[in-house]
Amino acid sequence: MISDGIEDEEKWLAAAIAGLQQNAFYMHRALDSNNLRDALKYSAQMLSELRTSRLSPHKYYELYMRAFDELRKLEMFFKEEARRGCSIIDLYELVQHAGNILPRLYLLCTVGSVYIKSKEAPAKDILKDLVEMCRGIQHPVRGLFLRSYLSQISRDKLPDIGSEYEGDADTVMDAVEFVLQNFTEMNKLWVRMQYQGPSREKERREKERSELRDLVGKNLHVLSQVEGVDLDMYRDTVLPRVLEQVVNCKDDLAQYYLMDCIIQVFPDEYHLQTLETLLGACPLLQPSVDIKTVLSRLMERLSNYAASSAEVLPEFLQVEAFAKLNNAIGKVIEAQVDMPIAGAVTLYSSLLTFTLHVHPDRLDYVDQILGACVKKLSGKGKLDDSKATKQIVALLSAPLEKYNDIETVLKLSNYPCAMEHLDNGTNKVMAGVIIESIMKNRTRISTADKVEALFELIKGLIKDLDVDLHDEVDEEDFKEEQNSVARLIQMLYNDDPEEMLKIVCTVRKHILAGGPKRLPFTVPPLIFNALKLVRRLQGQEENAAGKEGVATPKKIFQLLNQTIEALAIVPVPELSLRLYLECAEAANDSDLEPVAYEFFTQAYILYEEEISDSRAQVTAIHLIIGTLQRMHVFGVENRDTLTHKATGYSAKLLKKPDQCRAVYACSHLFWVDDNDNIKDGERVLLCLKRALRIANAAQQMATAARGSSKLVVLFIEILSKYLYFFEKGNSEITVAAIQGLIELITTEMQSDNMTSDPAADAFLASTLRYIQFQKQKGGAMGEKYEPIKA
Amino acid sequence: MASRRRMLLKVIILGDSGVGKTSLMNQYVNRKFSNQYKATIGADFLTKEVQFEDRLFTLQIWDTAGQERFQSLGVAFYRGADCCVLVYDVNVMKSFDNLNNWREEFLIQASPSDPENFPFVVLGNKIDVDSGNSRVVSEKKARAWCASKGNIPYFETSAKEGFNVDAAFQCIAKNALKNEPEEEL
Ligand SMILES: Nc1nc2c(ncn2[C@@H]2O[C@H](COP(=O)(O)OP(=O)(O)O)[C@@H](O)[C@H]2O)c(=O)[nH]1
Ligand SMILES: [Mg+2]
Repeated sequence: MISDGIEDEEKWLAAAIAGLQQNAFYMHRALDSNNLRDALKYSAQMLSELRTSRLSPHKYYELYMRAFDELRKLEMFFKEEARRGCSIIDLYELVQHAGNILPRLYLLCTVGSVYIKSKEAPAKDILKDLVEMCRGIQHPVRGLFLRSYLSQISRDKLPDIGSEYEGDADTVMDAVEFVLQNFTEMNKLWVRMQYQGPSREKERREKERSELRDLVGKNLHVLSQVEGVDLDMYRDTVLPRVLEQVVNCKDDLAQYYLMDCIIQVFPDEYHLQTLETLLGACPLLQPSVDIKTVLSRLMERLSNYAASSAEVLPEFLQVEAFAKLNNAIGKVIEAQVDMPIAGAVTLYSSLLTFTLHVHPDRLDYVDQILGACVKKLSGKGKLDDSKATKQIVALLSAPLEKYNDIETVLKLSNYPCAMEHLDNGTNKVMAGVIIESIMKNRTRISTADKVEALFELIKGLIKDLDVDLHDEVDEEDFKEEQNSVARLIQMLYNDDPEEMLKIVCTVRKHILAGGPKRLPFTVPPLIFNALKLVRRLQGQEENAAGKEGVATPKKIFQLLNQTIEALAIVPVPELSLRLYLECAEAANDSDLEPVAYEFFTQAYILYEEEISDSRAQVTAIHLIIGTLQRMHVFGVENRDTLTHKATGYSAKLLKKPDQCRAVYACSHLFWVDDNDNIKDGERVLLCLKRALRIANAAQQMATAARGSSKLVVLFIEILSKYLYFFEKGNSEITVAAIQGLIELITTEMQSDNMTSDPAADAFLASTLRYIQFQKQKGGAMGEKYEPIKA
Repeated sequence: MASRRRMLLKVIILGDSGVGKTSLMNQYVNRKFSNQYKATIGADFLTKEVQFEDRLFTLQIWDTAGQERFQSLGVAFYRGADCCVLVYDVNVMKSFDNLNNWREEFLIQASPSDPENFPFVVLGNKIDVDSGNSRVVSEKKARAWCASKGNIPYFETSAKEGFNVDAAFQCIAKNALKNEPEEEL
């Protein structure tokens, strides 16, 4: 049915165009032969096509545009006629003889245009005449197009200020009157359309009306372009008259559209100076009008204007724009009880944007708006309306973007309350936005109170908000979230150690509530940040110890020990071990032997009880050896205990090669370069010999199990260690031992059951080259190396 | 008849809202400029007489809304255009990116008989703003785009200062004149 309608319409349009073109053809011929009578006759026939009622506005517009183009030619002809001496007044009379009213009025407007141009009569009289005569067409679509034709041809002939049509008799007031009148008539036609025809076609009619809207709105555009419409004229005449029409027409489509037009076509300065009038009209509109969009657009416009230049800001203050808008919004929200939450929040969010542009210094305004919004949301709990949620995010993001400073935002008492209304997912996103803003602006969050407030704000990322609700969280998202929290923790800083300690405690309190999934992300950055504080305190007297609230390394270490302990519930023993060792090293640097020893003990306990995977053990043991090697705080006894254990762990690793490497690494525990107390050549040698034994055993096992040449590398590695300690002056490492080892390796590598291993070959070759090089270097080192035959 | 037809040249100005279409037209036709922003509704034209090779033409310049919500009746007025002017704001990247859409939309809707050779002119407006410091589209980039679309003539203009506006419209008129009139079916 409907498609039939569309097809029919196409046919009707085609037929109308054909009729129009045919008559246009004859009209052209008449024009070319200067035959006025025929020109009028055929143009009238051509224009008769516009009498159709069968076309939708879109199609009618197509037809109209064709007629319009043809009429330009006719107009030119009239101009030429006038130039040739034909009286334009006579012409104006003559066209009125056209038999049919619609063509007649089009022709009249066309001649009228030339008439005004000729200045043989005051423009205002002709305009008045035309606008009155157009009343003859009461069919809405035809009337609207006819009047829009009138508007178009008169557009450049209005007696505007400075225009050539202005004169004693013609003032800008006449121009304004003319346009206003045409506007009023057009709006009436447009509104009346709603009440014509059967009610079952209501929907189609609304669609058609909507298509026609620009014809009506165009008049407002024309008014805005009239130079003489200054602020006074706008305030005293134009706006009241337009609003009167808007309010009185009682049609929601018209009201909504025309309010939007007024806001868009007239300049910002005018709106500011007439805010009260414009806003005053809002409550008078039909309840079904979407006032929130209208107001939002107004505020958006004014916000852009405020943002355009600081010079315009005084205008806003002078007219108390904030108070007026705030007031108007309050009234609208109050009056429209059915307004969806999203609508109300949109309004607040627009007002907030406005305020941030116009009154960036008035944090109280910002908080007030948030407060009003929170009040509106009270009792609503978490919102499940995505539109409203989006608007709240906008509301919360705006101050962040404006101030680029979370500290300012933290001062807004209503901010966290507004955030409460976001669902868990969005709450997290918002928390992420907050952290991002901090990162981007490198904001220093420098007091424990602010940290407290901030963590309260982003608690969606810090702990599970709803214990019962196990939302499906994407692993990747979760990681990203927690990584951003980690970065945030890393950034917290205060110069004052006492305050910094408070910050650490505050963060600790929050993250410990985060549960086993979050701790591995949040504990390490806290530990590292706290260790930075410890390093700052190094060298400071410990005399403050015991005093309440005073930051001492000891106190911090105690706290950190307990913090790492909390990881036990996860559990992540490897991470914990790493952190204990970090702390141990820091304690070492702070000269706190018992503390360092305690951390090592903790690490060892973990190693013994929790780390069972062989790869993890290897990594852990090397970490232990490396850290222990750097420790200088230990007395002989403690050191012996720890070293003994480390060597013991090394020898007990699952795989022989791992054992071998760990054991020879242990040799460094007995020989520390810059520490004369730790130079036990004998025990170094013991380690290396033990490593050799293990390598041998490994080699034999491998040979038994169908030979693997890879293991010869172990010997070469041990050789390197021999050379190292040899150079360092460990007298237990003799030339003979080195020589023996070289021979052993060479024989091994040449033996038949060895498949060659290029890596081992290269390694050995470069080791031998090194020996050669040291020999040739001469001096003490050269002498030392001299007896070695490579 | 053909001569009468040829005395009127129809030009359509397209581009995002706010780039200065209305201002360019007002500057060219009325030698006026206003800093105030007033949105355009629907389509609207002004005419201007131009002298060309001893002949007088009427340039019918159609200014458009650039915002869909103020173009409710569609674009039937594109029909019969002799030249299409594409305007962007040199300080707004998006307005430049959108030129292609405007061009394509015009070719689809106006369906000129020889789309390959239909005359376009591109104007990069508001070059006066902040003495060019806030500019984000370089002249080179704009010219490259114009070259890629069949050597569209390009002008850098300021409607505010009247810079290059006459020269641009002179070129627009010249190209409109070159356009072969459409034969009616
Ligand atoms: N500085 C400057 N501003 C301009 C220029 N052209 C237009 N404007 C301003 O830009 C805004 C939009 O101009 P308008 O002509 O209405 O743009 P349209 O929406 O494309 O018609 C107005 O505030 C004008 O004053 C220009 O060349 N330089
Ligand atoms: Mg405009």
